[in-house]
Amino acid sequence: MTADPSTFRFVSSNRRVREDRRFVVGNGHYVADVPLEGMLHVAIVGSQYPAARILGIDASAALAMPGVHYVLTGEELAGAVDQLMNGLDTPNVRRFPLAVGQVRYAGEWVAAVVADTRALAEDASEKVRVSYEPLPYLTKAGEALEPSSPPVHPPHGSNVLLDKTFVWGEVEKHFTESPRHLSFRVTWGRNSTVPIETFGVVASWDPWREMLDVWASIQMPKYPDQIARALRIPANNVRVHQDVDVGGSYGVKRGIKHTVLVAHLARRLGRPVRLLEDRLENMRGGDAHGPERIFDVDVAFNDEGIVKSMKMKALDNAGAYAGRAPFQLGKPIGAIVGPYKIESVQYRAQSVTTNKAVQEAVRGFGQSPTNYAIETAIDKVARACGLDRVEIRRRNFIRADEFPYLIPSGTRYDSGEYHTVVDKVLAHIDYPALQAERDRLRASGLLAGIGIAACLEPSGGNSSFEPLLNEKNQTTTWMDSARINVDGLGFVTVTIHTTSAGQGHETLAATVVAEVLQIDPDLIRIVRPDSLACLPSNTPVGSRMAIMLGGACFHAAQKLKAKLTRIGAFRLGVAADVATYENGAVADPASGRKLDWAELVNIAHRGFHLLPPDTEPGLEATHVMQVPTGDKLPEGGRVQMYPCHSFEFHMVLIALDPVLGKPEIRRYVIGHDCGTVINPHIVKGMTLGGIAHGIGAALLEEFVYDDEGQMLTQSFMDYLLPSSHEVPQVEIVHHCTPSPFTVFGQKGSGESGYLGAPAAISGALNDAVADLGIFFDKLPIRIFAISDAVAAARANPTGKTAV
Amino acid sequence: MKLDIGGTETIQTDVETLWRALNDPVVLTRCIPGCKAMTETAPDAYKVDMQLRVAAVGGSFEGEIALSDKQPPNTCRITVSGAGTLGHGSGEAKFAITPLSEGFSQLSYQGVGEVGGLVAGVGQRILGSVSKHLIGRFFTTLRKEFEDGGALAAGAAE
Repeated sequence: MTADPSTFRFVSSNRRVREDRRFVVGNGHYVADVPLEGMLHVAIVGSQYPAARILGIDASAALAMPGVHYVLTGEELAGAVDQLMNGLDTPNVRRFPLAVGQVRYAGEWVAAVVADTRALAEDASEKVRVSYEPLPYLTKAGEALEPSSPPVHPPHGSNVLLDKTFVWGEVEKHFTESPRHLSFRVTWGRNSTVPIETFGVVASWDPWREMLDVWASIQMPKYPDQIARALRIPANNVRVHQDVDVGGSYGVKRGIKHTVLVAHLARRLGRPVRLLEDRLENMRGGDAHGPERIFDVDVAFNDEGIVKSMKMKALDNAGAYAGRAPFQLGKPIGAIVGPYKIESVQYRAQSVTTNKAVQEAVRGFGQSPTNYAIETAIDKVARACGLDRVEIRRRNFIRADEFPYLIPSGTRYDSGEYHTVVDKVLAHIDYPALQAERDRLRASGLLAGIGIAACLEPSGGNSSFEPLLNEKNQTTTWMDSARINVDGLGFVTVTIHTTSAGQGHETLAATVVAEVLQIDPDLIRIVRPDSLACLPSNTPVGSRMAIMLGGACFHAAQKLKAKLTRIGAFRLGVAADVATYENGAVADPASGRKLDWAELVNIAHRGFHLLPPDTEPGLEATHVMQVPTGDKLPEGGRVQMYPCHSFEFHMVLIALDPVLGKPEIRRYVIGHDCGTVINPHIVKGMTLGGIAHGIGAALLEEFVYDDEGQMLTQSFMDYLLPSSHEVPQVEIVHHCTPSPFTVFGQKGSGESGYLGAPAAISGALNDAVADLGIFFDKLPIRIFAISDAVAAARANPTGKTAV
Repeated sequence: MKLDIGGTETIQTDVETLWRALNDPVVLTRCIPGCKAMTETAPDAYKVDMQLRVAAVGGSFEGEIALSDKQPPNTCRITVSGAGTLGHGSGEAKFAITPLSEGFSQLSYQGVGEVGGLVAGVGQRILGSVSKHLIGRFFTTLRKEFEDGGALAAGAAE
């Protein structure tokens, strides 16, 4: 850490989020607001079968409609573009934006209809006749492991995309030595984030300048590179406009297939083309589902509840194409023991293809499911040992004096004060009183339970999981950048080089630059150049921007401050290390003489003769930031994953009527430590939104497929989101353990709340029904599952029920 | 998704007339909800064009209907398959006509269907009731055919 928290002026202060103004008044500028002359619109023809050979596509009736310009099929597109990037070394799992020869899930894109309006394109899409020959299909991950299962990609030979076992430490020895073991299975249902703004993209091709312009609702690393590669054009022929507001993403806005499709059409037709998904297209064919995972967990522990070793098998149902799904099994390796001192771990990561929609990255990149499995294990050990669930966590936590702490899988945790956070939460909530309230609810005839979850949010995202799971990948940097320019009138403009999906990066960048330069943040303009004018950057994923964009802004501002100080010192006739910088002015402390901001700016912009030797004119500084600690390739299956580790501790009280089964959250408290907070409103918003998202994952949201391979929850009538009825008032207890690896001690908070809420809610419901012999082992825990299980248990009080 | 359909209806006509009506594409076109055209492609085989709305989606269906195991004027097996913008569907049902008291017949039917595509996902919660509703409309229209003033009232079908 290079800044002293006691001197913070703008960092951590109660300042408004500058982006909020335009969003609140409805003046965001989204991809749907991009008006291009002569723009055409796309509607998609989706597959009706989970698996089928495409025998023919007859578009003649659609093309005969006035205003319909084109119907694009997979055969044509596959001949014109390269297959979409595949992160794993699975060359025969080929993916194109439109199905080629065969469909692999119900809803997969088969053809794209282009017309003057979206409505016309939709009408015409109904006239496209596709004849299919249905093929065998599968939907369950367990079936996909069977060698006899129908292969989703016959050339690949099986449905297994990834099956890798890691052993970190002396697992077998620890299991043999430990007096007690337990094992269980839990399942994380297929859910995702479903932003209110669906994915949209506009592309336009100028053949005379050889330039593809793209506007998209995007949160995708290396997006321009991927477009150029797929279209086989030079990367500097692709210009992505980053100044497009993104109406929510939480990981999933990665519409590369949409973009390649639209970009090809724009080139083919010589007109701008737009694809804006409707909700049905988004839910069934947008390729934005999240992890669907079965965990088999074994833990070895002693009578004191100390967990020595863990074996975890995670079997993930990737859907029809690899997408980012397999890597979401890799990232949790960086926090595979959670906040606990588990000494050794065996981890088997399995990813399989089935005839379901494709996964995309979702908030936490696989961490929340893993945390759910770990926390379930800790609760079960507590129960087996007859220990309080808070006490067992305290016993297993890494202690504050043990940081930086190396976990078995190779990541060094930066810092944490887990015991202190728990103490603060217990004091805030009055734990004995909470237990008394639960018992009072139970005595009144309700079911009631307390849920507890302690977990980490790895942050500062790089892509170490890629070389870990694919040895051909040798990536060791995931940089982000900032550039600061002070113009001739002394006004400051900062460029940032990605889109934002509501994370408040403009506020972040302004706050950090203002902090270093000691000027008013409101005087700083933040802009996003198009991708051709951008410095090397990735994208706001992996809870990285406070660390990475914040870090890049900090270092660029330091460079600028150093230049201002050199200029001032030279004019004052003192050494640069003697001169002081304060509030934009440079002074000689001995004489008290000083040059203010306007004078320094004037010299830099107009007085080359006044500049120190070998000084470039102007006031400009850039910084390309490397992820802290992320500089090495994996060795022996171990790698430093992310640099920083935020901590959250959830306590929740749930009550429910035993007949109705509808959970009601009576109290929700989260202790949250993401190090130094840059802007408290942003962190609060992230945490509350993350908990709401976690409530959805725990109780409501699931992409359900029937036995015929059809997706049943395609709209918000059936895919249920938490509303204000389900989301309680959340009390946040703050704590700050600065990270030693970042400029202000900040850690990430972009996934906070979501990483522990599902585990906490599951824990509360299982506490509520434990005395009935019920254990809910699958998320989401729907109302009907609760009421059915309670009714069955009451009808048969001796039987143990796993639901 | 799978759908079970079945029921019993009472129609005010005799067994023979009802049998003829149920084998007459002209009558069926009038009675099947959303049916735009029904053309005979072979003996006991028809092509149908339908226009339907279910929940938030609407669209057109092209289907084939085949009649088999016919035992006039009492029982018959009907096989339906079709596909369209809404999705695809197939089904098989058996119906039986038995005489009731003077001037009335009973028609009972039992079958299973399978529906896929958009309609399965969007409409799954209501498909059961939608199918009941559509069948109800079929019989309401069919009954009207036999009522006073209806096209098939007392000998009009001859």
